[in-house]
Parts: sequence; structure tokens; C-alpha cells
Amino acid sequence: MLEALGAGFSVRGRRLLADISLTAQPGELTLIIGPNGAGKSTLISLLSGLRHPTEGLIRLNGIAPQTLSANKLARLRAVVEQHAGWQPGLTAAELAMMGAYLTQDTTGDWREAMRLTQCLELADRRLETLSGGELQRVHLARALLQLMTSTAAERYLLLDEPTAALDFGLADSLMAQIRVLAREYRLGVVAVVHDLNLALRHADQVLLMDSGRGIAFGAAADIMQKERLETLYGVRLAELVSADAQHRAFVPMQNHAN
Amino acid sequence: MRLSHLVFLLLLAIALTAGGALWLSPDGTHIPIMAALRGQLPDFERQLLVELRLPRLILSFSAGALLAASGGAIQSRFQNPLAEPGLVGISGGAALAAALALQFGCPAPWVPVVAFTGGMLALTLTWLMSHNAHDGGRLILAGIAVNALFGSLLTLLISMLPDGSLRTVTFWLMGSFSNADWPQARLFLIAAPLLTWLLFREWRLLNALQLGPHSAFHLGFDVRRGGLRVVVLAALATGLVVSNCGMVGFIGLMAPHLARQLIGGHTRRLMIAAPLFGGLLAILADWLAHSLLYPAELPVGVITSLAGAPFFLWLLWRNDRRANHA
Repeated sequence: MLEALGAGFSVRGRRLLADISLTAQPGELTLIIGPNGAGKSTLISLLSGLRHPTEGLIRLNGIAPQTLSANKLARLRAVVEQHAGWQPGLTAAELAMMGAYLTQDTTGDWREAMRLTQCLELADRRLETLSGGELQRVHLARALLQLMTSTAAERYLLLDEPTAALDFGLADSLMAQIRVLAREYRLGVVAVVHDLNLALRHADQVLLMDSGRGIAFGAAADIMQKERLETLYGVRLAELVSADAQHRAFVPMQNHAN
Repeated sequence: MRLSHLVFLLLLAIALTAGGALWLSPDGTHIPIMAALRGQLPDFERQLLVELRLPRLILSFSAGALLAASGGAIQSRFQNPLAEPGLVGISGGAALAAALALQFGCPAPWVPVVAFTGGMLALTLTWLMSHNAHDGGRLILAGIAVNALFGSLLTLLISMLPDGSLRTVTFWLMGSFSNADWPQARLFLIAAPLLTWLLFREWRLLNALQLGPHSAFHLGFDVRRGGLRVVVLAALATGLVVSNCGMVGFIGLMAPHLARQLIGGHTRRLMIAAPLFGGLLAILADWLAHSLLYPAELPVGVITSLAGAPFFLWLLWRNDRRANHA
């Protein structure tokens, strides 16, 4: 179980996060949504152990991440940052294989990881020839491989805007695939997304954030209500329901609430 | 290009250059190869070959390889293609310490030891000045400051030295393999493969660092400790070279770049190809240094800097153009 218990983070007297609580279980997809500057990426960096909370607690399988070595931490969680770097000259497969460095297993099952994240056909391409969306999937394969080579029972995948550079259709199919991976490999996936409808369609649970605070946490259907989202984003929304009442979606309306 | 092809080509070029350096003399004569193979070489030529040319070849090749391995590792560690081991202050410290040792009449065999200590002290100073920062930017800035400080102290010292010592100080400033002997060659025969291998072993960390320090941490690497290990190993290698051969510039910068141009940035390949390139460059430069103005001998650093400085400018210009087009 990956938990935040009233976690907060301040840097140089500025409070970036306060009073965040969430629980992510293996096998579940938890999505974090909220306006720009709500502190979503900062929260990911606390959950990943890169930064340490200045208030409250983060618990990774019951342990504070900062007490674990980088090596032990990497067996429990993998991270894809929003702006993961890269250098020209590597191939996509070589980037994906980095996921197996931890176990010093140079091959690993990188083909399987690339297939599962829909980028195996890119394996021999050089990184500088990839589009933003293609690169993002290779980074995802790298993170997935890291968890596949770990023998820990409860593992977590933290993704900061994994669908940011993907087109409409690809974003949806990748999110669906991530959910399948979460189930199959018993991964607790925590991801930041901007697309409300992606969250509505795929999330097991959603954390709504605003100005560094968690304002609601729970099942998407329960907490993603029209009024709350309108206040959160400062925009009027229309709620659309499909004919079979299986799908809901929000669409911003012309006259902005101001 | 595949790594195996490049390694084959490099080994071929190294064998040819080494053969030339061993058998051919700059005055146009050569050592009779067949006689040498039959072990019937006249004493003078045998001494020339075994006591002078062979240790010199071993020293120059392993010094070049060590500089290139440290250069490749430091560039990858700080994700800075313009970094080289000299930039963290080691060369300046070693050269100053050597000059001081000469000034105060330190016995010759001890000068390399003093120079090595000076290099390590300079590195420590750089390290302290950069506040143990993880990011390479500050370390390199601190290194430049330390180098500048030591450089000016060195100039001050040179202007106070008696004229006779000037040539010896030039040796440290511009580098030379002409004093090579078997004790040095033996030291490098052990130290160079060891240090190169220890640096090579870090290829996973160095490759992960290409994604940035945060991603390397997420992949399970202790970036601070691992990075320190890389810097210390590179410093040991550079300190060893500078204290025995003086400051042979630009090989640590050029060799990894040439390797990267041909086989890409993967550090496992880079840390194999770069030392071979470095060794080749060093024996080529040394050969040019002692044959160009024969019988006078140039410091080898003059050759490497003459080739290296334009290379550095070209690199800057190309990086600049790339950035503008991005």
C-alpha cells in the first residue's frame, strides 16, 4: 500500500503542498487531477521518495521512502517524470533496457515491456528520431521493465502526465492498457492526468487537487461532480451522458464563469 | 558503426602506429626487424628498443587511454560534453605542486608523488567549494576557479624560478613522454588497465545519468555516492598521468567525442572505444612530437593542444548551431 497521510511540503518558507491524504493499492489505477500549479508533480516527487515531506507522512508498504536506499526504493516503485531527459545516440530499446540496470540483467524482458506499452516497433529507432508521444511510451516501457524485474510483492508505478504528448485515441488506449497492466502485474499505478474524461473512463479512484491541497479523494463517479469541477477549474461545464448511460463526459461551455 | 568494427580498426591503427614508433627512427633509419625477431640485435639498437622506445610507447598509450576513460566518464557524469578531467582542478594542482617541489629541490623520483598529492588536494578544494553539490554545473565552475588560481600561482612561481628550472617546469605544463623508463611503464601497465576497468564498470550509472540525475535515482542509483566514485576514479587516473607525464591537454576531451561520433552515446560502448582512441591519439601525438623538428623534441602537449583547441572550437560551434536549429 502506498499512502500519503496528511503529507505536506514546504520549500524556503513556501508551502507547496499541505494536508494530502491518499491510499493506492496494488492492482488499482489512481489518477490525480487538478488545475495547473495545484502541486500534482510535487506530490509525485514525494510519493517517489525523491523529495521528503516536511509535514505528515508518506508510507510505501508501511515504510518511509527516505529511509530506503535508492536501490531498495527502485525495487518497489518506478517513475516516469514529466520531462524525462535523454541523449541522442541511444536507441529506444537501449533506453527501455535501462529499466533492468538495477538487477544488472542487461537483456531483461525488454521486448515484453515494449510490447505491453505499444512501442516494440520503435525498438531499433534512435531517440532523436522519435516524436514526443513515442518517446513517452519508451520511457513507460523502461519503468515497466524496472518493476517486471523486481521480485517485490507490492510494486508501484508513478507517472507524471503519461498521456501529455499522445493523440486523442492513443491517450485513451494507453490509459486502458495501463489499467490492464495494473491488474495483471498487481501494480499500484498513480498517474497525473489533465484530461477529466480520461479520469472518468479509467480511474479506479481519483484525487482532486487545488492550490497544493487535496480537496477530494475517492471513486471517480462519486467525486467528479459537475459543480465541484466547475469551481475547481473556473469554467462552466456541460455534462454529457451516452445513450446507454454507460459513459459520462464533461465539455467546457463558451461563457467562462468569472 | 558497430563497436566490434571500430575496435578492430582502432587496434589495427594502434598496431601500425606502435610498430612505426618502435622500429622507425625520426632520422630515417630503422631497426632491422628480422634481426630483432631472431634476437640478434646489436646492443645499441636493443637498448634503444627495449630501454627507451618500448617503455615510452607503453607510457604514452596508457596515459592516453587513462585520460580518455576519465574524460568519457566525467562528460557522462555531468552530462556536459565540454567537460574534461582537467576541469575539476586536478591538472593545475598537480603542475603547481610539481613546480614547488622542483623549486625546493625535491629529489626527482619524488616529484610525481608530490604532483599527485597536489592534484588530489586541488580536487578536494574544488569539491569543498562546490558544497558537495550533486549538479555538475557548480563542480565545473569551482574547478575552473581552482584551475585559474593554481595557474596564476604557477606563473608567479615560474617568474621567480632560476632559468635552469624553466625547462623542467615546461615539461609539467606542456606534457612529455620523453622521460619514460621501465618503473613508470610498469606502474602504468598495472594502473591503467585497473582504473580503466573500474571506470568501465560504472557504465550503467553513467548511461542512466544521461536521463538526468532524477531519473538515475528513480532507476535505483545513488547518484551522489556513485557520482563521487566516478569523479574520484577519474581524478586518480588524471592525477597519475599528470604527475608522470605533465599536462597532456585535450586527449580527455577529444577521444570520447571521436568515439561518440562513430558508435553513439551508449556508455558501455563509449567506455571501451574512448580509451582505445585516447591511446592511439597519444602515441600518434608523441610520435609527431619527437619527429617533427628532429633532432629537437616538442612537448607532446603542444601537438595535442594544436589539434585539440580547434577541435574544441568546432565542437562549440557545432553545439551552438544544433541548439539554434532545435
